Amino acid sequence: MSEQTSLWWIDWRLSRLPLVRETIGRFLFFCLLGFALLSLLLSGGASRFLADRYAITAVLRADVPSAEAEGLARKVAALPPVRSAAYRDPEAAWKEFLRAYPGLDPLRGAGRNPMPGYIEIRIRPDRLTRADVDLVASALRSVPLVEQVLAGEEWLPRLLRADRLAFWAGWGIFSAFLAGFFLVGRLQERGRAVALAGDFAFLVERGVPTGRMVFFRAASAAVSGFLLAAAGTATGGGALFLFLRKFPFLEGGIGPPSDLLLPRTLAVAVLFSCGVALLSAAASLLGWRAARSGRK
Amino acid sequence: MIEGFRLGVFSRGTTLWDGLDFAFGDAAAWFVTGPPSSGKTLLLSILRGERRPDAGDVLVSGESLYRGNAALARAWRASCGYIPEQTVADAHLTVGDLFRRSALAGGGVRESERKDRTDRLLEMVGLQGASGWKIAELSISERGRASLAAELLRGPKVLFCDGLVAGAGVPFWEMLWGLFRALAREGNTVILAERRIPERWALAGGDPKPVGPFRVYRLPIPEAVVKGEPG
Repeated sequence: MSEQTSLWWIDWRLSRLPLVRETIGRFLFFCLLGFALLSLLLSGGASRFLADRYAITAVLRADVPSAEAEGLARKVAALPPVRSAAYRDPEAAWKEFLRAYPGLDPLRGAGRNPMPGYIEIRIRPDRLTRADVDLVASALRSVPLVEQVLAGEEWLPRLLRADRLAFWAGWGIFSAFLAGFFLVGRLQERGRAVALAGDFAFLVERGVPTGRMVFFRAASAAVSGFLLAAAGTATGGGALFLFLRKFPFLEGGIGPPSDLLLPRTLAVAVLFSCGVALLSAAASLLGWRAARSGRK
Repeated sequence: MIEGFRLGVFSRGTTLWDGLDFAFGDAAAWFVTGPPSSGKTLLLSILRGERRPDAGDVLVSGESLYRGNAALARAWRASCGYIPEQTVADAHLTVGDLFRRSALAGGGVRESERKDRTDRLLEMVGLQGASGWKIAELSISERGRASLAAELLRGPKVLFCDGLVAGAGVPFWEMLWGLFRALAREGNTVILAERRIPERWALAGGDPKPVGPFRVYRLPIPEAVVKGEPG
């Protein structure tokens, strides 16, 4: 008897000003949350910071030729958990020793360098686990050229525990903010549903099905939530990119700006936007239900 | 054709009315009068498909509103306009908002077209430039006329008015009389529920048909005048 009423963006069509205010607030919030998300993702909590400072040292036997030592370093670098493996010959090791302990030159009085060559191995931030450290250390210990492997096994568990705590604390705070968004969003949706109750009743009286209206409100909330989260994360990511370029020393803790464009990072940003879309739809549905039942 | 068969309502522990038959033909203006608390608003709700009668059924073009397809009842409601006796009094709501939601209920009307038609309709009901006025600050008469104009925006096939004529006041009866007859002449159906009918309308409507506590008048519809024909 009449054409089908389009109910997309129904709240926008009925009440623009409050919705604009809400949208601006949500966008700014997602900018901050996007910044935090990408920082957490790139840094892995404290993993990158710790991985930057942690190294396994494989002390080589005195008579190992440089070519063989370099070959071993290349093989170690090929192990999956290893980020880099650099060979230091005895002469370089002696210079490092003197820089660390000046005034000990007499130890070389006999003319012979007392320092052996060594390989310094750095672990990838995302592989800084007990199992991966053990894998690398045990692989090195089985090599006859290696005299000793210094992997800090006695304090490594504490380091890894601190890493885990920082990881969970970071994501916990992030989740708390996301939950806060959901609760505030639900209250906003409820407030809007109450404010527009007269309009909705008007539409229902004129043959618009309630279920269809609720569905389209939730769908609109999901779409706008996705777009806002995506835009906010992109803006937050842009800010993080500029921040890292401006303060390069932060790369040690967060990571290089180029990592922001990795497929993995982009996939997480899309997943985050999808999650926000679902939360927005749920907030819309619950807000509507609460408004109908008169509860807070 | 809207038909009510053996309609009955049992309210507050008693029978308000029972076994009433109605037949409202298309392209006509109908006037239903009844004393206070006789169930006029209830009758309009039942005819609009909003409230199931406790007995009987309502048929629209031969299809049952309450025993048939729910989608049909919704489509019927979508084709109806309704001006309630108690209009909205939201402190923030403006006359323009009434038109906005009416346009939304009507499947969406382009912004420019809506504004244009809003101005014309408001002028027609004597509320020029009222688009930005707050409903809460309007008189009963102005609220009724603003609601009427907002409903007309969608061009409903059937218009139900509850207490509109009495609320609008005597100075606007002439305008409403002409408007309802013009709507009927264009093929629409208008059903008015009032406590009493203006004397002139009653004279023009002739003898009413008594149905339970109600009196049903059919207002005369003028023939369309074709310009250029010799008088």
